Amino acid sequence: MDTSRSYLEPSSFSKKIAAAIIIVYTVITLIPISWMVMTSFKNVDSAISYPPEVLFEPSLEGYVNLFTNRSRQSPEYLDSLPPPKNWYEELVRSREMVITGPSKFLGRYSNSMIIGFGSTFASVFLGALAAYAFSRFRVPLKDDLLFFILSTRMFPPIAVAVPIFIMYRKLGLGDTHLGMIILYTVVNLSLAVWLLKGFMDEIPKEYEEAAMIDGYSRLQAFFKVVLPQAMTGIAATAIFCMIFSWNEYAFAVLLTQFNAQTAPPFIPTIIGEGGLDWPAIGAGTTLFLLPVMIFTIILRKHLLRGITFGAVRK
Amino acid sequence: MSVKKKFKGLSDKAVGWLFIGPTVLLLLAINIYPLVYAIKMSFTNFYANKIGREPQFIGLKNYIKVLNKEAIWEKMQVTASFMFWTLLLQAIIGLGLALLLNKKFKGNELLTTLIVLPMMLSPAVVGVFWTYLYNPQVGLFNYVVNFFYDFGSFDMIGSSMLAPWSIVIVDTWMWTPFTMLICLAGLRSVPNYLYEAAEVDRASKWQQFIYITLPSVLPFLLLALLFRGIENFKMFDMVVELTSGGPGSATELASINLKREAFEKWKTGYSSAFAVILFVTIFGFGNVYVKVMNKIKER
Repeated sequence: MDTSRSYLEPSSFSKKIAAAIIIVYTVITLIPISWMVMTSFKNVDSAISYPPEVLFEPSLEGYVNLFTNRSRQSPEYLDSLPPPKNWYEELVRSREMVITGPSKFLGRYSNSMIIGFGSTFASVFLGALAAYAFSRFRVPLKDDLLFFILSTRMFPPIAVAVPIFIMYRKLGLGDTHLGMIILYTVVNLSLAVWLLKGFMDEIPKEYEEAAMIDGYSRLQAFFKVVLPQAMTGIAATAIFCMIFSWNEYAFAVLLTQFNAQTAPPFIPTIIGEGGLDWPAIGAGTTLFLLPVMIFTIILRKHLLRGITFGAVRK
Repeated sequence: MSVKKKFKGLSDKAVGWLFIGPTVLLLLAINIYPLVYAIKMSFTNFYANKIGREPQFIGLKNYIKVLNKEAIWEKMQVTASFMFWTLLLQAIIGLGLALLLNKKFKGNELLTTLIVLPMMLSPAVVGVFWTYLYNPQVGLFNYVVNFFYDFGSFDMIGSSMLAPWSIVIVDTWMWTPFTMLICLAGLRSVPNYLYEAAEVDRASKWQQFIYITLPSVLPFLLLALLFRGIENFKMFDMVVELTSGGPGSATELASINLKREAFEKWKTGYSSAFAVILFVTIFGFGNVYVKVMNKIKER
């Protein structure tokens, strides 16, 4: 047994070479991401020093600037103020500024959350229903319908953005959470149907048939037997939908302005006066990208399967 | 007792339509209707910011205008060269990484996950952040390049010669993992007995690579490039935030130009015609590509 496999196994030398090259590539590819996290903990001066500082004194200035609006004041005015009440006020005062209020970041971030979770739930739910029907029933024109569902992903977002913009204006859905949830649901739906159909196909039909012989209706069998069985697939699909909604920019920048604006169109605007507030940009990007990175690492098995899904199925 | 009445509740047919109905309706309302609307608008002189004015039917004038405009062909060229270089680099590096990862050394699952990280991030936010890395005065990218070879001061985003490369580099950094993952799936699907048979026939490692590995991975690689090609033809978010199409129009891809015409100049009719042309292009190329791909698969 052992000898018959051994010549297929790469030699330990070639494994070492491969590992070395991969490690070098991994390090290089992670530099921009680590640099972003590091920048978020620099102060404004250290972020624009050259050569770039790898070792620096950590500061929370970026995060303070991210969460507050500030205005520049004269030294005389600052002297006339009562002493700062807390550390972040002190930090801002040392830059000859005062805090004028909270920034919009939290609001934009929670918009991203609401729209992300809302659309993910809707597309996974509707996608699971459709996927089950495609997987189990004889649907007329099944292949055409499935292709139609997939082909909707090929539309450039900008091409349909104007009609959607006009339509939403008429329906009063422009710049609303509901409007964005519906839009992202639809964009994700095609992927959800395709991914979930793959998972449903793997669940043996006998499970729900047994349940139906025991007196369950088709609907009960679906909700009580099939859905729990498909939980892994549902989780994987949900992650994909969530990542898409979380990252989406084109529709968000074109269709939202105030009320329902998500974080991706907002983050570029926090660059601040003189375009030099890189720590704040770093802080915003870090807080925005961190959840996705943690998700990716924790749920890597499902994710990787989902990405290669289309290729492996065939 | 009739056999049909075996189960209670709705008939399967009813459940089927109940389950598929909402999905199809939503896609029709939010995807197909806007597309049909855009096609209709492309034959008119409609301006979406002038609400009161009735749009007039002007036939194919918009299409003629788009196709006769030299600037449009420039954008198409910019898009084509962006696609050529990103796809080429991602194919080579992605396949290379997949071949190395397929050697199944210790820890390769963790490394795969780490390599995949960039493609999970928001392209627009990535674009913003890279403007810092590319900053000619303080950017890390410039520092590292000058560390290896002293070019002096250079501006990746501000120079019209370098800007096209700035977007190619970021896209390649972000999306090479995608090609890599698909190729890896392809490599893992090659049955072991092929190599075993080759060993018995005393084929060299190189011959095995040329006659077994490459032909089995090729369909997967082509599929990955199809997906990336469609995405990069539509590319908008990362480039808007990184270079916003500049300097001049050195990196103004087709969809960035489309956004300018549609949402800054509000030429709805004209931009709809442009959108339809882009859509037909992507569909046409996609179909030809899939046909060629299937031919290669059959061999």
